[in-house]
Amino acid sequence: MAETATDYRKYLDPKVLARIASLDLRARLIVEGLMTGMHRSPYQGISVEFAQHRPYTAGDDIRHVDWKVLAKTDRIYLKQYQEETNLHLICLVDASESMAYGSVSDGAGAAWTKFDHATAIAASLSYMAIQQQDSVGLAVFDQDLKRYHKPSNSPAQWKLITRELTLEPRLKKTNTGKILDQLAEKLTHRSLIVVLSDFFDDLDSIKKGMRHLRYKKHELMVFQVLDPMEIEFPFEDVTLFKGLEEMGELLTEPRSLREGYQEQLRLFTDQMKRMCRGMRIDFERMNSADPLDVSLSGFLATRAATIK
Amino acid sequence: MNYATLNPLAAFVNPGFAWAGVALLAIPILIHILNRRRFKVVRWAAMEYLLQAMRKNRRRLKFEQWLLLAMRCAVLGLLGLALARPMGCADSTLASLAGQRTGVHVFLIDNSYSMAYQADRPGARTHLDHARNLSRTLIDRLVRGGESVAIISAAAPATAVIARGTYDLDAAKAAIGRIEQSAASTDLPGAMNLALQIARDDTSSARRRLYLFTDGTRSAWTGTAAAGIEQASAELGKVYRITHFNLGKPGQWNHAVLDVRPETPLVTTKLNFNSPFHADVKGYGPGPAAALRWKVDDSSLLGGSGEIQLEPDTPRQTQSQVAMKTAGPHVVSVALGSADRLPVDDVRRRVVDAVGRLRVLIVEGDKGLGLMAGSAAFLGIALAPANDPGQGVAGTDSYVAPEIVSDLELANKVLGDYRAVVICNVGQISPAEADRLGTFVRRGGALLWFMGEQINSRNYNDVLLPRGLLPGPLTRRMSAAGDDKGFQFDFRPSGSLHPLLGIFRGEQRSGLDTARIFTYLQIEIPAQSKVERVLDYLTGGDPSAKGTANDPAITAHSLGDGRVVWFSTTANAEWTSLPAKPAYVTLMHELLAGSVSSGDGWMNLTVGQALQTPASLKLLSAPMLLDTQRREYPLIQTTDEAGQVSHRSGPLTRPGVYTLVTGAESLPIVVNPPSDEADVRVLDDAGIKKAMGGVEVELEADQIPPEILARQSGNDFGWSLMAIVLCAAALECLLAMRFGHHRVIHARGAKG
Repeated sequence: MAETATDYRKYLDPKVLARIASLDLRARLIVEGLMTGMHRSPYQGISVEFAQHRPYTAGDDIRHVDWKVLAKTDRIYLKQYQEETNLHLICLVDASESMAYGSVSDGAGAAWTKFDHATAIAASLSYMAIQQQDSVGLAVFDQDLKRYHKPSNSPAQWKLITRELTLEPRLKKTNTGKILDQLAEKLTHRSLIVVLSDFFDDLDSIKKGMRHLRYKKHELMVFQVLDPMEIEFPFEDVTLFKGLEEMGELLTEPRSLREGYQEQLRLFTDQMKRMCRGMRIDFERMNSADPLDVSLSGFLATRAATIK
Repeated sequence: MNYATLNPLAAFVNPGFAWAGVALLAIPILIHILNRRRFKVVRWAAMEYLLQAMRKNRRRLKFEQWLLLAMRCAVLGLLGLALARPMGCADSTLASLAGQRTGVHVFLIDNSYSMAYQADRPGARTHLDHARNLSRTLIDRLVRGGESVAIISAAAPATAVIARGTYDLDAAKAAIGRIEQSAASTDLPGAMNLALQIARDDTSSARRRLYLFTDGTRSAWTGTAAAGIEQASAELGKVYRITHFNLGKPGQWNHAVLDVRPETPLVTTKLNFNSPFHADVKGYGPGPAAALRWKVDDSSLLGGSGEIQLEPDTPRQTQSQVAMKTAGPHVVSVALGSADRLPVDDVRRRVVDAVGRLRVLIVEGDKGLGLMAGSAAFLGIALAPANDPGQGVAGTDSYVAPEIVSDLELANKVLGDYRAVVICNVGQISPAEADRLGTFVRRGGALLWFMGEQINSRNYNDVLLPRGLLPGPLTRRMSAAGDDKGFQFDFRPSGSLHPLLGIFRGEQRSGLDTARIFTYLQIEIPAQSKVERVLDYLTGGDPSAKGTANDPAITAHSLGDGRVVWFSTTANAEWTSLPAKPAYVTLMHELLAGSVSSGDGWMNLTVGQALQTPASLKLLSAPMLLDTQRREYPLIQTTDEAGQVSHRSGPLTRPGVYTLVTGAESLPIVVNPPSDEADVRVLDDAGIKKAMGGVEVELEADQIPPEILARQSGNDFGWSLMAIVLCAAALECLLAMRFGHHRVIHARGAKG
């Protein structure tokens, strides 16, 4: 059993996953690997289940009394239930040019981009949701909302999603705020929206879009996916940086800029965190070099805590 | 010596490295430029934050880049500079670490006038020329960058030509070439002390060598400086390895005129005065006989003497035919006829200021009722006796021009107009008058005191004694009883006589021994006093005389440049019968002439002394001093405490006759070589070692030992090493440029 667990966990390493071309296979491996390493079922967090007993107190509705317990123990307990929901999970994946950046490699030429990381997470979450009969939808965007699939819990939805996420990112700029606005208008049911992006965009427009979604009572989870190079900025020699998404060029000696760059990135991330906290949105920054279980278990733990 | 002021590039031992350093400055600049052209290309997503960081840090980044560039340039420039070795860099530690030999070499070169001895060696006419050649040869054998050189010249005053060891050996050789032949004597103790000072200042060198280049003459090593040499040598032996090169030739000889002077300080033009002149002429070493040539000024050639064999103990030569026809300064010179190999001391000159009219101020304290009642009247007649009426010429032939005034007129007189002041029986002297008299004497005047009835001993003791104008305190008045014959002088014509009484030697009928003194003032001469007793009173030898033991009758002492003569009794017949004696007139003349200074001392100088004009010199314009080549020599005006203006030159370094132009006249100023350098007889090695107190010293003759000559010069591996360092630094720059080349990042989405 331990061996099996070890075998599955290796599929959580991006360097290994990079060799697996099929996204649905990737997602299955990730989810099974994740489940094997956990003591408690991850499904419990997002399902509708009996919760607990609690002693009766005066004024409680007697309809919830557990008569069987009363009969057996002669004590009055009430049965408490978690609210049963018809969960709609929407994965919103950024497919702009900046998401095509990736420095993580398996050493044999296969690279792992931020987009790869984002799609692997989206597919895994979709797989888990469909496994427990929840509806899953998908939206892929750059500067426009390119693909949108309404939530569905049919098994065919999983195939559709994985096929859609297999597409290469477009060489386009991103416009996250506008997309969030559009999505808010499209969604009719209250949904859990998972946003996967690097968020290299205008913070004000993003804020506006998120506020719109929150206004429509949707729940949001934000995953900022960054490449380790973007986090550590380890460049040494004189370098010409050519900006993706038409951001211009810069010839500089990166050593001298490292500290300033990291400071600016940290400021942006802090602003994002503050903004999300203000709107009661879960925010998670992901390093695309980290194993997938780190990203997913973080998400699931956050989710479970939110439901309780 | 500041070589850097001569030529900027001469301020480096190796100017080529300085140029190399300047050229290498271009390397970091080129790398900086090329690096901007050779770069990696990275496609980058998080461009916004990079641009923000750039905007925020643009000024700091530029500053850092320029600072880095400046630092790299400075490293290469300074490396070149270090290799070029600026002169101020006395301690070349890096070079000396890699060098084979290190240390300081001090060259002490005697350039006194005896080193001008013409030995006629190949390539070196004089000893000094040979010393220069040997020094340069030794310096050529030193290791550049490792061994430094300091240079001292030993002619008085000893001078450190290069006081701190220089590593610029070419500059050191040039400095040796600039050491001039001096006409001064040797100052070996001073030079040795300078070498000691160099050793004290140079604490970094463990290896020190001192090379002495002298002619080993007796005058330099065994004269008055012997004690100083021995003392300094003992100290030198502790800090130096000493080598002495004796450049003197065995058997070298020299004739020299050491002194010329008149017999008496006063030379006059009156009374057909022919003053005898004396010359000290010596010969050292086995030289031939030589003749003397006496001259008064340029045109008054006197008859020469016959040839004489000159020895170290040759007696004084006398010339009695020197007659001064006109008053004023005359140059008397004595020259040797033989041509020796050291000509600088073959002639000696003296300026003699012949007096035509010696002005004497006689101050009378008690003129008396009669024409001849006072002492002044007696003195006036004695010093300037009237011509015999039978000659038909009124006036006097005496060179003395006395002027008699009362003590009340003394304050109105300008004492500087007189050569002597005679004060007779003046009761009291005020402090102001005493100050004037003191100043007068200190500047060369003669002051003669004659006692008398008016004298207030207490005033004299209070006012004159503290100013040095009395030989001692006046104690009491000594008088003979009324029936007594009085006191007598202790004068013995054939005994030991003071020079002022020398003219009375053998004179049995002078009257000095028979003169009676009835009253005199007793004076007490302090035990350690330098007062000369010219004549004493007779003690109990004659039962009829009641003289007091050793009471001085006449004394003389010096004060500043002048003399004070004290006469214990009167100059007239009031207290003594002396005026009636035949010796009276002569005695008064001798006392005056013997105490008046010649007044020409400032015109007779020795090499190295400075001219100082006396305050009494009459100037019609700013004085001008012309040297022997008739070139003007600078004079500086000075003012003393009394407000008297005089002029002073710098040290006069060349012997000969200078000319001082005062506006009214041209005065000759004679500069002679020192008289203590003429003995050129050479000490042997044992003598040199003994003179140095037996200190450890390598004694060489006039050649450099073969083992030193065999040394390779310029084999300093330190320089090779430094050059390699320079190449390595340049290579490092090139490699830094190479490693900074364009590099591909293998990542999807990133293009190389």
